[in-house]
Amino acid sequence: MNAPVKSGAFRVEALLPGPPADAIIRFEGVGKTYPSRDSQEPVTALAGIDLVVPRGSIVGVIGRSGAGKSTLIRLVNGLERATSGRILIEGEDVTNLTEAGWRERRRATGMIFQHFNLLSSRTVFDNVALPLEIAGVPKAKIEAQVSRLLALVGLADKRERYPAELSGGQKQRVGIARALATEPKVLLCDEATSALDPETTRAILALLKQVNRELGITILLITHEIPVIKEICDRVAVIEGGNIVEEGETFEVMTRPRHPTTASFVEAVTGVEVPDYLAGRIHQQALAGDSAVLRIAFTGENATTPVISRLSAVIGVDVNILAGRIDAIGEKPFGSLLVSVPASEPELAAVFGALKSLDLKAELVGHVS
Amino acid sequence: MSPELIRLIVEATGDTLLMVAIAAGLGTALGLPLGVFLATSKKGELFAAPAVNAVLGALVNATRSTPFIILVVAIIPFTRLIAGTSIGTFAATVPLTVAATPFIARLIEGAIREVDQGLVEAARSMGATPLQIVRKVLVPEALPAIVLGLTLALVSLLGFSAMVGAVGGGGLGDLGIRYGYQRFMPDVMAIVVAVLIVLVQTVQSVGDRLSRRLNKRLRHA
Repeated sequence: MNAPVKSGAFRVEALLPGPPADAIIRFEGVGKTYPSRDSQEPVTALAGIDLVVPRGSIVGVIGRSGAGKSTLIRLVNGLERATSGRILIEGEDVTNLTEAGWRERRRATGMIFQHFNLLSSRTVFDNVALPLEIAGVPKAKIEAQVSRLLALVGLADKRERYPAELSGGQKQRVGIARALATEPKVLLCDEATSALDPETTRAILALLKQVNRELGITILLITHEIPVIKEICDRVAVIEGGNIVEEGETFEVMTRPRHPTTASFVEAVTGVEVPDYLAGRIHQQALAGDSAVLRIAFTGENATTPVISRLSAVIGVDVNILAGRIDAIGEKPFGSLLVSVPASEPELAAVFGALKSLDLKAELVGHVS
Repeated sequence: MSPELIRLIVEATGDTLLMVAIAAGLGTALGLPLGVFLATSKKGELFAAPAVNAVLGALVNATRSTPFIILVVAIIPFTRLIAGTSIGTFAATVPLTVAATPFIARLIEGAIREVDQGLVEAARSMGATPLQIVRKVLVPEALPAIVLGLTLALVSLLGFSAMVGAVGGGGLGDLGIRYGYQRFMPDVMAIVVAVLIVLVQTVQSVGDRLSRRLNKRLRHA
């Protein structure tokens, strides 16, 4: 027997195209304007945000500082209030919740922070216990729950330590354990890895992914670092000037960025720059005996095809690799290569034709003698 | 030195300690909530009440800007109302408390304001009520600074207490003025000064040590 469908709205949404209908968080035209201070103009932090966070997913919001992402994430637990639009959490309109109503809701939403925000006066154990104390959980249950969480984040041996005795990565693990203490359905990550080195960042992201997959906790994170998005996000929204300028599945957005802001973010991790030794020698006008320098983009399936050897076979020229970066987004390979091909203008057409037949995107960077 | 003088010095030390202890105790009991309120009631803060904050702040400033000896005399009617009399060691604890309370309140306000706002935000994100934030976050996190502030207040109170001889309060200051100065007994003056120095040193080093023990930020891995 199928379970009865509880909500009529659910079915309607199921028929709509786009992201999965089971949204745990839904922003509908949400705006946030801060009133003017002194004689200054009111500041619009967010202008008409539409965003859906599917249940069980990891959604990343990326933007530069001042783009409005901090405000956006704080709307989800009522630390900031929207000035227009609606926010639905598990179908409930929370836009006009009272402070007391929000307090109740916040206990079902965990949050971690860039600077960890651990209490220096409390041990690791007592920091993780704090949200449970606040919720009035009995001592014995706190003990069991905190022990379990410290084991989960790999800090069981640090329970009596103080935050000042921990490394940054360990502090964030305490932050994660603390955020999970009340068994929330949603975890909000506010630049959670921005104060960590790359290696620690990877370890924390792996932990977040584990939390998402094993505990089924939906994660909404904000960041200015594209590697964070690439590493763990199922979906990404790019925010700029208080607007979401692009949104979609991470792989789609990253491989086919439509907005210049997205493109510049993506460029930083997957772009291949012309090496310095070559840059000075590249010219736009082809001369006899020149080689053409091409940038070839790989996405998805074709990133695994033996492109270079096929290219050589199809057009019968040697392909020289100058630089390249192949990476993976989710589990799909993605990247670009910079190659030189001994070809003058007429032969180039054949090369592009061959690349097109292999379903690869290529652009001509210039010619080099 | 005569046994009579020794008795006087011991008695005066006891009076000073008693006055300072009562004033510091009451001053903390009143100053702590006042300080917490001052630190959390400006616009947009936990217990936002900007008008009340402004009035209390002005009151605190007024008390603090009145020289202690003037305050003692100026509030004699109030002292009489509370203590039944305006003369003597017990009565002298009233102006001492009145002076200590706003002083302690400002010190506690300063200590609380030093607490990282990120911690308040974290506590809010857990669903903490404003009172829980005060009890579980602000006061424990500010405690090392509060202890240092109270130490400073105790030292100041030792100084203030020397002035209450003017209204018949006892204590070391009174002894020093009446015997050491007015009766030309420099040895008494020397002893009074020495006892005060020992008291201040003791209070300061105990306070410093306690604050350091409470401060978990200084530990390193």
